[in-house]
Amino acid sequence: MVLRSALYEIHKRLDAHFTEFVGFEMPLYFSSIKDEHLAVRKAVGLFDVSHMSNVWIEGKDAMKLLSLCTVADVPKYLENQSQYTVILRENGTVIDDTIFMNLGDKYMIIPNAGMSTIVTKWLNDKAKEYKLNAKAEDVSRDFVILAIQGLRSRETLQKITKIDMNNVKFFGCQYGKIADVDCIISHTGYTGELGFELQITPTKKAEIVFNKILEAGAEFGIKPIGLGARDTLRLEKCFILAGNEFEGGRTPLEATLSWLIHWDHEFIGKEAILKQKEKGDYERLTCLECIDKGIPRHGCEIQKNGMNVGIVTSGTLSPCLNKGIAMGYVHKDFREPESILDIIVREKPVKAKVVKPPFVPKDWASRN
Amino acid sequence: MGDEVRNNLKYTDTHEWLKLSGENARVGITDHAQSQLTDIVFVELPQIDKEVKKGEELCVVESVKSVSEIYSPITGKIINVNKKLEDNPEIINKNPYDDGWLVEIKVKDKSEINSLLDAESYKKII
Repeated sequence: MVLRSALYEIHKRLDAHFTEFVGFEMPLYFSSIKDEHLAVRKAVGLFDVSHMSNVWIEGKDAMKLLSLCTVADVPKYLENQSQYTVILRENGTVIDDTIFMNLGDKYMIIPNAGMSTIVTKWLNDKAKEYKLNAKAEDVSRDFVILAIQGLRSRETLQKITKIDMNNVKFFGCQYGKIADVDCIISHTGYTGELGFELQITPTKKAEIVFNKILEAGAEFGIKPIGLGARDTLRLEKCFILAGNEFEGGRTPLEATLSWLIHWDHEFIGKEAILKQKEKGDYERLTCLECIDKGIPRHGCEIQKNGMNVGIVTSGTLSPCLNKGIAMGYVHKDFREPESILDIIVREKPVKAKVVKPPFVPKDWASRN
Repeated sequence: MGDEVRNNLKYTDTHEWLKLSGENARVGITDHAQSQLTDIVFVELPQIDKEVKKGEELCVVESVKSVSEIYSPITGKIINVNKKLEDNPEIINKNPYDDGWLVEIKVKDKSEINSLLDAESYKKII
């Protein structure tokens, strides 16, 4: 069965072209991926990301459970703070990446699309195994998730809320009303721009919020944005897409997420990644910017002098740079910044340079 | 923009068009195809002098999101490619039937053209 967002009819009215993404029929684009991409970089865009999951974690030991099951030392995050983290298997590979929000009375995590059942079961199994008084509950279908992203996102939301949006700090989260509808508001996103995300329940109220945001943002040229631009926006910032970058089992060290790991707390998978860290001989996620014409895609081989040294996990044409860009896993000895590698696109080598993330810097819009 | 179909062209059910002049045929993708692909960002053109068979891959057109193979509507030899597309692939979106042509083919067997769709038949499948 294909699942749809509660906003499906609105998307249809806005002329969305749909695509199926891990079991969800979601807008791929409304006008054009490029136009939508640039609207977010230069002004503001509104995304329906209801394909993402919502899981409540509650109970006396909720904090302990979350700390055990993620690489984050969860007690460090006070009420109204959120954090990006990863959930690991015992062997150190990533089950999923997620944001958790400390909402005081309980935690909410946002697993990826199609991951809610797996993650919820994992958490409940671990609660049982470690005898913790905590429960994870999958409430994904009860929520619509909106993301409002871009330089003008704060101004747009400010027009339709009494909350002082300046007080919602980066990676802050809180309950509050937007367009008179109860939401969980967080200063988070997946575009690398100033942005906010809203978790809205019941889902029938989301239509009001969606329409009010479009109205409020009209003066800034707001556009509804599909999954196409969501993917190009995140890739220009070298953000991970779980289904691509964790495919086949990757550890946070391989995915260059070691900055997320709090080594001074106990968590599932710690032993395995400590061993890997000591050994040090693992492939690492690497950013490649094409010098030659050509667009790298998922699965393209990466070579050095005809020798296979890696594989592309995500690739696209960067709408901001107008160049092919890619992320992929590369052997540790071949990924020094400025190194030149070949990406094999339809059997032909496309020269690409190793660059430090992100591909598109924070101040891109002010310079273009 | 969207679904223009021109009466003087021949079409395939894979959304290529062909225009015969003398022994040679110009080939491109239809307005419908370009609008479905959206934002064309890269075109990989074939080598001149390459022999192609009807229904075989002729070249590759990429949008931001996807890679699409374009099939030759006819058998023959490539005699010219639209070099302008290498730097400005978006011409195909703007003008798929004129400036956005892809290749010119020296046609081997003109009778093959009879198996292509006319404008009326093509309109029915889009």
